[in-house]
Amino acid sequence: MKYVLLCAAACLLTTAGFGEIRIVTSLPDLADFARQIGGDKVKVDFIVRGDQNPHFVEVKPSYMMKLKSADLFFIIGMELEMWAPQLVDGSRNEKLSVVDLSKGIQKLEVPSRVDASQGDVHRFGNPHYWLDPRNVRVIMDEMVDAMVSVSPSDEKLFRANEDVYLKKLESMIPQWEGEMKPFAGSRIITFHKSWSYFTNWLNLTVADQVEPKPGITPTPSHTADLIALVRKAAIKAIVVEPFYDMSAPEQIAHAGGAKVLMLPPSEGVVDGTGDYIALMSYDVRTLAAALK
Amino acid sequence: MHRSVWWSMAVVPLLAAAAAPGLAQTTVNPDISIIPRFRVESNDGEKLDQGKREFSRPDLQFEELELAIQSYLNPYARGDVILTIPGPDLENSKLGIEEVYASVLRGLPLDLNLRIGKYRAEFGKLNMVHPHAWPFITQPLSQLRFFGEEGLNDLGISASVLLPTGDVYSRLTVDLLRGNSVGKAAGLPDTTGAQPLYATSARLMAFFTLGDKSDLEAGLSTYTGIHDPYNHYRFWYLNGDMKYKYRSSAYTSLTVQAEYLFNTRTVTAAPAPVSGTLNTSGLYMYADYQFFKIFSAGARYDWSEQPYSAGDRAWAVALFLGYYPVEETLGVRFQYQHTETEPGTSTRAVNLLALQVLFSMGPHKAHPF
Repeated sequence: MKYVLLCAAACLLTTAGFGEIRIVTSLPDLADFARQIGGDKVKVDFIVRGDQNPHFVEVKPSYMMKLKSADLFFIIGMELEMWAPQLVDGSRNEKLSVVDLSKGIQKLEVPSRVDASQGDVHRFGNPHYWLDPRNVRVIMDEMVDAMVSVSPSDEKLFRANEDVYLKKLESMIPQWEGEMKPFAGSRIITFHKSWSYFTNWLNLTVADQVEPKPGITPTPSHTADLIALVRKAAIKAIVVEPFYDMSAPEQIAHAGGAKVLMLPPSEGVVDGTGDYIALMSYDVRTLAAALK
Repeated sequence: MHRSVWWSMAVVPLLAAAAAPGLAQTTVNPDISIIPRFRVESNDGEKLDQGKREFSRPDLQFEELELAIQSYLNPYARGDVILTIPGPDLENSKLGIEEVYASVLRGLPLDLNLRIGKYRAEFGKLNMVHPHAWPFITQPLSQLRFFGEEGLNDLGISASVLLPTGDVYSRLTVDLLRGNSVGKAAGLPDTTGAQPLYATSARLMAFFTLGDKSDLEAGLSTYTGIHDPYNHYRFWYLNGDMKYKYRSSAYTSLTVQAEYLFNTRTVTAAPAPVSGTLNTSGLYMYADYQFFKIFSAGARYDWSEQPYSAGDRAWAVALFLGYYPVEETLGVRFQYQHTETEPGTSTRAVNLLALQVLFSMGPHKAHPF
């Protein structure tokens, strides 16, 4: 009888997720990394879908509910998630640790001076660093440290899982670099300054952005300038995230003779990009095809 | 749990925060935002008494300047100060306090949040939203008649708690207020100097995620206090509100919002026309469609009686357009409103045309859903 009761209690605790670390991430890509590290020791959810602009997220109570019972909230930081403090306050979760994953990142485009005349410039630098897979090790190291602080007894497991995943990811990096090697030095246009780390990694040059300034809606005069630039520099690709309006990029592409590429910066938007490795494979393959 | 334990759980974080020496010497400046609004307005009702219907000269008016100073006070609490310079007299306007309050966000039992100071109470949905964040220019008639231009904005203390409703976000907020806000709106003498006339309000709200693209918030509010200078007669406001938002993309969304307010009060004579129990009500509903990210267009319907008269009714239809070329930093709104008031047996119709320009400096945060 005692044995039966013990089994029943164990079953109840298991179904209630006893001992699980509850993690919420701002982006789905970070959720993927957290799952790779934590395995069945973690329960992971995220806030921003891949088809949503992570800069602008409505402060919804449903997001606060996700954070209410979480132990860790992993964010990109560098003021990408300007909406995060309101969610954290609204969650009323005192034990929640907010972990900024940008601490160890070699940051690009850190401005010396910031004011609103420059558009939505991030004062701590460009925050889209997860699009360089070489930064994933830094991100995951930070995650492991935070997860170990919640569950020290699982440290060995977390570090082993991290190693396994990084081995797999880092074995893909030379392959992706190889695919893009023929296009080193190629010039592309992007809608927003989201691809700086990606292009820096692959030796591409961003000639200009569709936005006249970060976060500012395309203007007719800037669009005309870009058409001239595309023609003059024979630019082949205009990279646009799925949440931006395609009309200005299509106008530039049509008039200048380039292609518009919808490249997702986060996983789950396009079929077959359900994890980070698949996402990077898709983005590299699609861009390489367009630059041929 | 023993009462003293609860008490110490509530007070210790506050005392700890106050005593922490490093926190008092912070070098981090608060967020400072400035939001001025200007308006050009014309209506055809000014000479109706002379039997003439003609649009008045469209005057450019200074409407209001809002200065928001906001910051965390310490790890447990934040402070919000919203100062205002009201229009239209730009030269003689004085700086006033619209809101000044501290919110304790952490460290209290039951994850309670406390707010103390002068603030827009959580009564209904629109009351908490500053006018610069409305999609239209004019205040809905029911809000104006039952609360006045400032809304339900009073000195008080507020406590809110999240309710254990699973994955559904629901919150109960209870306020103890000084109680002169509504009396002021109804033109009653200010009695706060004579005797303490406390009022209480409460709102129960729930937020439902209807899918990836749509959400619904529904709320019930109540507000009760004494409404006569002699501390005899009680009033009750009961309010139902809903807000639905469908966001099909980052560029397009539809918002539908409505509130119905019911007022019941004991009256003797003036300012009410009869003695006894008076029941009146008011409502507004609007739809606002955002497109191309920078434009919005919508319509609003208002209907309202007066707090002290069921015979003094008014209704209005408003059409409004908004243009926000660079996020929330610059806004231009246009509104046409047709209002018909029926004080007794006569009807008075007035058409209003208004253009509003506002800009925003600083990081004043977006209002939540």
